Amino acid sequence: MKHISRAVALAAVLALAAAACNANDKSGTTGGSTAAAEQGGTFHILSTSKEISYDPAKSQNLGISGIHLVLRGLTSWKTDPSKPTELVPDLATDTGQVSDGGKTWTYKLKPGLKYADGSPIVAADIKYGVERSFAPELSGGLGYHKSLLVGGDKYTGPYKGGDLASVETPDDTTIVFKLNKPYGDWPWIVSMPAFSPVPKKADTDPAHYGEKPMASGPYQVQSYTPGSKLVLTRNPNWDKSTDPARTGLPDSIVTDMGLQPDVVNQRLIADAGDDKFAATTGTSVPAALIPTITGNPAVKARVATSPSGALQYLAMNTKRPALANPAVRKAIEYAVDKQAVQVAEGGPEYGGEIASTLITPGIDGYTKYDSYEAPPAGDPAKAKQMLAAAGVSNLNLVLAADNTTGLGVAQAIQQGLKRAGITVTIKPLDSEPLTDLITGNKPDFDLTVSSWLPDFPSAIGNIQPLFGTSEIGNGGYNISRYSNPAVDTAIAAATAEPDRTKAAGLWAALDKQIMADAPIVPLIYARNAFLHGSKVQNFYLSSYPPYANTLIVGLSK
Amino acid sequence: MPDLVWFLTRRLFAALLVMLALSLAVYLIFYAIPADPAHLACGKPCTPDRLEQARHFMQLDQSTLQQYLNFLKGIVAGRTFGDGAAAVHCNAPCFGYSFPLARPVTTLITDRLPITASIALGAAVLWLLIGVSLGVIAALNRGRILDRLAVGVALIGVSTPSFLLGLLAILVFGFWLNMVPVNGYIPLTESPVDWAWHLVTPWIVLAILQAASYIRLTRSQMLEELNLDYITTARAKGASEARVVLTHGLRGVLVPVITLFGLDLGSLLGGAILTEKVFSMQGLGDLLISAVGQLDVAVVVGVTLFSAFLIILANLVVDIVHGVLDPRVSHG
Repeated sequence: MKHISRAVALAAVLALAAAACNANDKSGTTGGSTAAAEQGGTFHILSTSKEISYDPAKSQNLGISGIHLVLRGLTSWKTDPSKPTELVPDLATDTGQVSDGGKTWTYKLKPGLKYADGSPIVAADIKYGVERSFAPELSGGLGYHKSLLVGGDKYTGPYKGGDLASVETPDDTTIVFKLNKPYGDWPWIVSMPAFSPVPKKADTDPAHYGEKPMASGPYQVQSYTPGSKLVLTRNPNWDKSTDPARTGLPDSIVTDMGLQPDVVNQRLIADAGDDKFAATTGTSVPAALIPTITGNPAVKARVATSPSGALQYLAMNTKRPALANPAVRKAIEYAVDKQAVQVAEGGPEYGGEIASTLITPGIDGYTKYDSYEAPPAGDPAKAKQMLAAAGVSNLNLVLAADNTTGLGVAQAIQQGLKRAGITVTIKPLDSEPLTDLITGNKPDFDLTVSSWLPDFPSAIGNIQPLFGTSEIGNGGYNISRYSNPAVDTAIAAATAEPDRTKAAGLWAALDKQIMADAPIVPLIYARNAFLHGSKVQNFYLSSYPPYANTLIVGLSK
Repeated sequence: MPDLVWFLTRRLFAALLVMLALSLAVYLIFYAIPADPAHLACGKPCTPDRLEQARHFMQLDQSTLQQYLNFLKGIVAGRTFGDGAAAVHCNAPCFGYSFPLARPVTTLITDRLPITASIALGAAVLWLLIGVSLGVIAALNRGRILDRLAVGVALIGVSTPSFLLGLLAILVFGFWLNMVPVNGYIPLTESPVDWAWHLVTPWIVLAILQAASYIRLTRSQMLEELNLDYITTARAKGASEARVVLTHGLRGVLVPVITLFGLDLGSLLGGAILTEKVFSMQGLGDLLISAVGQLDVAVVVGVTLFSAFLIILANLVVDIVHGVLDPRVSHG
């Protein structure tokens, strides 16, 4: 799951690569061009990132990002501007055969798959790729599988820990995963970078493997200069007919790295020369540029915005004496001025819609409801009444906020609560110390504003990391320190449900059950807005993921 | 010459002590910050076990003093993090290893130095030329319009923040007039023309900012020199005005100018932070400032030490040049 403190959001998505434009403005996706994408050309990604590693073990990238141009997985993501993101079989023939009550997942590889050097892709390479993600030397990537695979908690990687017995490869095309508990979303887990094939013989220098990994996708790394440029060229052995997730249209993809965010946006606004064939995949349009963009229809047409995105929310530390009383937290639900927050983030069109649920639109299990119905600016009078009824007066709360990106929203919250007689003191902090404070074991704060985007489109990603008792402290993201045994039991049941429709129902019920205890105030479903050049096609942002799908980029002449 | 050797030995020894103290100070400051760099290497989701593993691998589970001693030892003997085939090696002299950037600090510094040096040296030549010549012109035209103009330019240069001037230059010459590239660095070895073309705006911006103090210094120094007895003597002996100013006057002016120049250049080589940020160039300044944000203590210590070394070196060179320019200066 992705914790996004907005500044970190940039960093987190820096390594995402971009995509092209689309005219289909259904589902609220906007920003596109009508010309058709053609085969060929060089697509430029303008990136603020200074370092890009395509080591699958170290990657936290989403299923639509640049690493997947080079590396294929057992499954992959397929986006559509008008439909929720789907999971499709990639190297595997299907999204997985489940047995043993949800604890064993079996995959068969498609025939004839090859790496860029012509050697065959075999099941043992996927097993090895998974194993090396356990090595502490290569940590830092998405590691959901590490606590799910039998023996994963003690395993330390293939370099000194031998092999991981819970990943079996009975033959070259079969791979079997043994889990320690039923996990219905396992097919999404195997779309993550760590499930890309890594041939053991190619892993001679593990620390630098990510600079030129064995390519299984449509592109391979031609050259990489840290801080400057990453050049991808075609992989001659990629067979389009086996790949439902990638179009492989441009001949090459060049990432211009280390750019200032302002430079990225200004170059894309100017749309000159090669920048016509360029886009950003991680640098959102800042609020300060919105008037420039809305004032110029030609530029505005080249901004793709997502219908939804990360949930931005106000977390209330339920372990603090002042906030331990649910009646006080419910009063705050009414007192918050969500409209002011929305304005601080760029208004409805660029900031995002006002939120009332935990599961975000575009993810199975999302149902629109509002347990604390109030006007967009809140209902301070009702909040005052509720506080009086609870016998609470002179409420003083400390709001820990990111000093570079979070002060606008913090002030909107402060003003909103003031109307209900609640005094909020803002405590500004740098991003890293703030993260340590809110996720660590000394939670000396009452309120904080945070954002959350799951790492895969399942409601488990919205709910479990933020509200599971096991996620309190030690770096976990249950920052409201919410603990309810009934909720924990329900989370376990929904996690184990292999039927996605049934699971969605369970998660939707959990959403309401948790909101009844009011541990957080949902603020907005934060939109992303990315600029692209005039010749870039198939560039659209979905509800989830709210980023462009790099894998289907195309250019027009 | 033994005097010079003794002088150099003493200075180098002092420099070593200063750098040791500095590295210890940076270590202590960083360990006082309530945040854990291992979080960044822990992965998602980060479990307490995995966090402990990451700490152990990065050798952050040892005491602050032990970590500092490891750092000192690494300079002499190199370091290895982890073990087995996936271990990360940092060969001696190892000034630390950056986990976020997956490179030894020495490699990062040698990779980034050409960018900072290109910016600093080019700008330095420009500002020295502009500063000294405008300063001399101002002094020779004291109280007249040229003097006022030069002093005015100096005032604007001194009082303008570099990011403002840089951004304005990018906006006007890059985006509006489309005369120069707006960002990026092309290595000199790849294309000398593109190299210079990408650097011309940062050079001019930095030169305008820095030239200001040189104009003022040269002007006041030159005015002082021109009033000295030996200048009157030179004039009385019938030396041409050009010879009086350029040979006799300028020689006196150069001593303080060289002092300032050495220190400015030394500190700029350690990283032109704002200029690099504004022009999207990944030099040492950019490396340092990003490392601070990521709590990458190895890079912060490494770059700080390197910058300190440059300043110390610049001081040393300035002292030696003084001796050459002004025979009255002894190395005693």
